[in-house]
Amino acid sequence: MNNSLKQPANIVVWVVLLTMPYWMGFVGGYTELATRILVMALGAMALNFLLGFTGVLSFGHAAFFGLGAYGAAMTIKYIAPSSMLALFIGVLVGAIAGALIGALIVKRRGVYFAMTTIAFGQVFYFIAFRWNTVTGGDDGLNGWHREPINLGFTQLDIYHNPMLFYYFVLVIFAVSVGIMALLLNSPFGRTLLAIRENERRARFLGIEIERHIWMSFMVSCVFMALAGGLYALLNNFTDPRALRFDLSGNFVIMAVMGGMRSFWGPLVGAAIFVALQDVVSSHTENWMSVIGVVFVLVVLFFPRGILGLTRKANNS
Amino acid sequence: MSLLQVQNVSRHFGKLVAVNGVSLTVEPGELRAIIGPNGAGKTTFFNLISGFFPPTSGKILFNGQDVTALSPEQRVNRGMARTFQITEIFPELSVADNLRIAVESAAGLRLRPWLGAKDRGLVRARIDELLDLSSLTPKANRMVGELSHGDQRAAEIMMSLALNPKILLLDEPAAGMGDQETYDISRLIRRVHKQQKLTIVLIEHDMRVVFNLADRIMVLGEGAMLAEGPPEDIANSEIVQAAYLGKAA
Amino acid sequence: MQLILFDVFNGLITGAFYALMALGLSLILNLSGVINFAHGGFLALGAYLSYTIMPYTGFFGALLVAPVLTAMFGLVIERFLIRPLYGRDPLYSLLLTFGLAYIFEDGSRYIWGAQSVPYQVPAYLSSPLSTEFFFLTGYRVFMVVLVALAVGALFYVLTYTRLGMRIRAGTRDLETVSTLGVNVRILRNLNFGLGIYMAGLAGALAAGLLGLQPTIGTSLLMPSFVAIIVGGLGSLPGTLLGGLLIGVASGLTTVILPSASEAIMYVMMGLVLLIRPRGLMGEEGRVH
Repeated sequence: MNNSLKQPANIVVWVVLLTMPYWMGFVGGYTELATRILVMALGAMALNFLLGFTGVLSFGHAAFFGLGAYGAAMTIKYIAPSSMLALFIGVLVGAIAGALIGALIVKRRGVYFAMTTIAFGQVFYFIAFRWNTVTGGDDGLNGWHREPINLGFTQLDIYHNPMLFYYFVLVIFAVSVGIMALLLNSPFGRTLLAIRENERRARFLGIEIERHIWMSFMVSCVFMALAGGLYALLNNFTDPRALRFDLSGNFVIMAVMGGMRSFWGPLVGAAIFVALQDVVSSHTENWMSVIGVVFVLVVLFFPRGILGLTRKANNS
Repeated sequence: MSLLQVQNVSRHFGKLVAVNGVSLTVEPGELRAIIGPNGAGKTTFFNLISGFFPPTSGKILFNGQDVTALSPEQRVNRGMARTFQITEIFPELSVADNLRIAVESAAGLRLRPWLGAKDRGLVRARIDELLDLSSLTPKANRMVGELSHGDQRAAEIMMSLALNPKILLLDEPAAGMGDQETYDISRLIRRVHKQQKLTIVLIEHDMRVVFNLADRIMVLGEGAMLAEGPPEDIANSEIVQAAYLGKAA
Repeated sequence: MQLILFDVFNGLITGAFYALMALGLSLILNLSGVINFAHGGFLALGAYLSYTIMPYTGFFGALLVAPVLTAMFGLVIERFLIRPLYGRDPLYSLLLTFGLAYIFEDGSRYIWGAQSVPYQVPAYLSSPLSTEFFFLTGYRVFMVVLVALAVGALFYVLTYTRLGMRIRAGTRDLETVSTLGVNVRILRNLNFGLGIYMAGLAGALAAGLLGLQPTIGTSLLMPSFVAIIVGGLGSLPGTLLGGLLIGVASGLTTVILPSASEAIMYVMMGLVLLIRPRGLMGEEGRVH
C-alpha cells in the first residue's frame, strides 16, 4: 500500500547512504556533513511520522530534539562517560516530555495544535537558556565528548574516527527508520493514515482519535530525541539553539521540501537543506534571508515536495 | 426487545430548536426511513443517535442499554455504524485499504504493530467478501477519491458494514446520484438488508428509494414528528401531503 | 513595597505589549486561520520605520505614520503571498510566514545594523512623574494610556463599524458571510492590515522602552502565542486578558525568582490547558 517503499527506491537510498562518506569529498563535502545530514534526516523523518502519516502538525518538535541533545550531553558530562547510556537517557527524557505535553494538547486540531506546540517548544529553550549552572546557559554545554563504544571483544573509537562515527549513526538510523516503516505498514500505521485522511470517518469506525494521535506523537518524540542525542554526540556540544523554534521550522520545511507524503521525502529534504545551509552560511552573512526565501518558494511553487506526487487530501 | 429506542430527545442550538421531543423505536431486522423537508431536523436527529453531539434532553437506548452519554467511538464499538450526507471516506487510499482499515478496526487489531499470517488471512477474506458484495472488486486497487460518486457511496456503506454493526444508519444514501446510480445503491441496500437481516435506518429525499425500501416511515417537520406508519399510510396521509409532499413537488 | 509595585507596573506594560501584539495575531488567526509567524517581523518593521521617519515627523508624527505604513506593507504581503494559500492546509501559511520572519529579521539587520539603534523619546516624557514613585516615568504612563486607547478603539471598530461587524461574523461563519454578498477576499485583506497595524503600533511604542534591535519582534512573539492560548482561542477579550495576565505574572516572578520570569507564562499555559483546555474565555467548540 505504501508506494514509497518500493524496492528500487530503497536500494538507491541505502547504496547512497552506505557510500556517502567516500564520495562526500568529491562534491565539496566532508564526513561530518554527511553525518549531520543523516542526523537531521532522522529528525525530519520522525517529525514526518506525525506530520505526513498522521496529519498532525507539530511546530515545536525541536523541543524534543533538544531534550535528547541535552539528555545525552548531561549524561556524559555529569553521570557516566558512555555514548550508549547518553543516547538512552536522551531518548527517555524526550519520551517523558512528549508523553506529558502530548496528553495536554491532543484534543486540539489543525492550527490550534500547531500553535500550542510552538508555545510549548519554547519552555525548554528558556530552561536551557536560564539554568546556567547546569545547562551552561547561552554558551551551551561543553567540556565533554562522545565516548568510544566498548563491544567487549573490541572497541569502536567513534570519538577519534569520524568515518566510524558516521557508520555508527547509520546503523542507528537504519534501525529507527526500519521500525517506523514497520509501524506504518501495520494496522496501527493504517489507523494513523485513517486519521490523517478523514478524522470523522475514522471516529465513526470506532477509532479513538486522541489516543492514537498521542501514540503517534510519542513515536515521533522518541526518534526526535534520538536524533537530538546523536546531534550532541556529533558536535561534542549542545546549546539552547538545539531547542529553539527556528529549528522546529527547519525540520518542517525539510519534510515538506522533500515530500511529506513519501517515506523518504524528509531524507531528501534534509540532505538539500543541510547542504544548502552549509554552503550559504560559508558564503554570505545573510544566510537567514536565503533560507527564508527557500521557505517562501517551497510553499508557493513546490508544496508537495520533490518526492510528493500524491494528491492533496480534500477533507480539511 | 427493541433494538433502538429514542425517547423524547431534543436538541437546541442557542435559541434554535433543531429537534423537539422526538421519539423513535426500531425493531431488529426493520428498515426504517425518515423523511421530511429541508431543515426538518433529520440530520440533527441522526447526529443525536450516532453520538455526534449529545441531546439537550431525552434518552437513547441501544440494545437495551442507555448510550445517551457515550462517544461516537463507543457507540460504534457497541454495534452502531453510520454514513454521512457528504461521503466520508479516505480519499487518498485504495478501496481495499479503506475497507482494510474498517475491518482491522472492527477486529480490534488497530493497535497491532504487526499481523500474524492467520489474522492477515482473515482480514483479506473479509475484504474480499465486502468487495464482492458491493461489486467493487475490479476497482479494489484504485484510489477511492478517483471513483464515481456512486462507487464512493458504495465504498462508504461497505466500510460501515465491515464493522459488523447491529444497526446501520444511512444519511441520504442516494443524494446527488443519477437514475442508474440511485437504482444501484437501492439494490445494494436491499441486498444488505435481506441477506444479513441487518437493521437499517435511513434518511432520504428520493421518494422512489424510500417507498421501495422502507418497512415503516417516520415524517419529521420543523424538528417534530408529524406522522409514522407503513409506506401506504404515509403516502395517503393528509398531514404529510400538506407539510411535505406538497412542498417538495 | 515600591519595588513590588514597580515590578507589577512593569509587568503590566509588558503585558500590554503582549496583548497588543496578540490581538493582531488573534484577528488574523480567527478570520483567516493563519498563524502569522512574521508578526514579530512586522513589529520590528513598525519600530524601525518610526525610527527612520522620526527626524522628519517628530516623535508623535512617527507614532502616527509608522504603524500605517507597516499596515500598508501588510496589505501587500497578504495580497500577493498569503492569499494564494487560503483553502490549503494551514501548514503552508505557517511555513510561509515563518520564512518571512527570517527575511524580515535578516533584512532589518542588513538595513539598520545588528546593533541596537538609539530611539529618542521626548525628554518631557522620560522624566519621572513623582519622586516617591520614581518608576512612573511619563513615557510608561503614556504607553499604558495609548495601548488602552488602541485596544478600546479596536473593540469599538469591531463592535460598531460595518467592517468590524463583518469581521466578527466572518470569524463565526465565513461561508454565510460570503453568501450574504460580502467580499471575503477584501475582508481578509483589511483584517490582516488591521492586525498588522496593531503590530506596527506595538513596535513604534516598544522601541522607546525595550531598545531597538532586529530581534525585538521575535522576543515578543512567543509570549503573544501564550497569551492567545491562555486567554482562549477565538476570543479577543480573552487574548487581552491573557496578555495582561502573563505580563503581570512574569513581572511578579522577576521579584521572586528572576530566572523563571519567562518560564512562568508557560507554567500558566500548562495549567490552563490542564484545568480549562479551551482557555480562560475561549468558547466551547473552538478547541478543535
